[in-house]
Amino acid sequence: MLTGLVLCLVVMGIAVCSLSGDARAQGAQSAIDCAIQSGPCTKSLADGTLTLDITPRPVRAMHDLTFTVTFSGVKPAHDPFIDLGMPGMIMGPNRVVLKRAGDNTYQGTGVIVRCPSGRRTWKATVSVPDKGSAEFVFDVVY
Amino acid sequence: MSSTEVVFLAFFSSGFTVGFGHCVGMCGPIAVSLSLGLRQGKVLIPHLLYHAGRITTYALLGAVVGLTGSFTGVTSRIVGIQKGVMIFAGVLIILMGLAMVGWIPLGRIFTDSFRPTGFFSKAFRKLNAAPSRGAYYPAGLVLGLLPCGPVYTALVAAARAGMESGEPLQGMFSGLWLMIAFGLGTVPALLLVGRIASLGWLTKREVIYRLSSMLMIALGVYFIVKAVLF
Repeated sequence: MLTGLVLCLVVMGIAVCSLSGDARAQGAQSAIDCAIQSGPCTKSLADGTLTLDITPRPVRAMHDLTFTVTFSGVKPAHDPFIDLGMPGMIMGPNRVVLKRAGDNTYQGTGVIVRCPSGRRTWKATVSVPDKGSAEFVFDVVY
Repeated sequence: MSSTEVVFLAFFSSGFTVGFGHCVGMCGPIAVSLSLGLRQGKVLIPHLLYHAGRITTYALLGAVVGLTGSFTGVTSRIVGIQKGVMIFAGVLIILMGLAMVGWIPLGRIFTDSFRPTGFFSKAFRKLNAAPSRGAYYPAGLVLGLLPCGPVYTALVAAARAGMESGEPLQGMFSGLWLMIAFGLGTVPALLLVGRIASLGWLTKREVIYRLSSMLMIALGVYFIVKAVLF
């Protein structure tokens, strides 16, 4: 049993790296539901919609980015926020705090970090206290 | 508990979580390589020194991003260095793998009968010998620069904390301590990996060594390829 365990540890490194590379990226490809490189994306939330935009484009990892969320039919009682993560990979908490920037519009700055595995698919979860959350899965440029 | 303590605890928790959820896979092979190069029972101190080196690097990076309040400003300047470190790590792992099966004249460093003769053999032996455990600290300092997603994420948060502190010096210390807390959180998972890999029962098995060495060589090559593409 221990033999297997130690081998697993060595294999795990290669496996994680490999899985998180091209093969897994292709798997994640099907989950992408937001063409953020082309323009803003819209999702339903409660009785209305919310639109996420990330600028400047192209949306690059390791660059300062501006996240803009616009609501329609939803009135947040508190400031919303965005949690950035990578589907299937623990990358640590990365939260973008949004502040009101106009009627129904909230804005904040953040950075999408680069994974050395080469994976480019990221997920932004926009949470609105008391209203729920919406997920946007998209590709970034390295 | 003060808000500062809460933030430190959050960074430690984040390190602890990614330690088991991410580092074991991505950095575990390095910890395994270090363990396989040590004799049974002589693992803890070298590993602690390695982690101390790694955390020192995180702390210094944290201090710089905290001082400047900019994550991208700092990381854009160290990309080249990180590539070099990734290649260095790959070469190191390959050398260890080759040495394990005796394919390069570093000798069978894992047997008591091994006596190095050449320059590289002696240097490698020194790294693994008890009197020179201190070599693991600089190794940690260098490998702490390996590109790593969760470390980047922690640095983003440290930069934000530095920016919000208002005062550059306060931001610097804030970034430094937050990254120390994060680094400490990653230690338990990697120590555990290193400890398991050093079990005497395992280190006496020729077949395991041969298989592990093959995998280490493959992993080293993978590191180098990724560094070139990074």
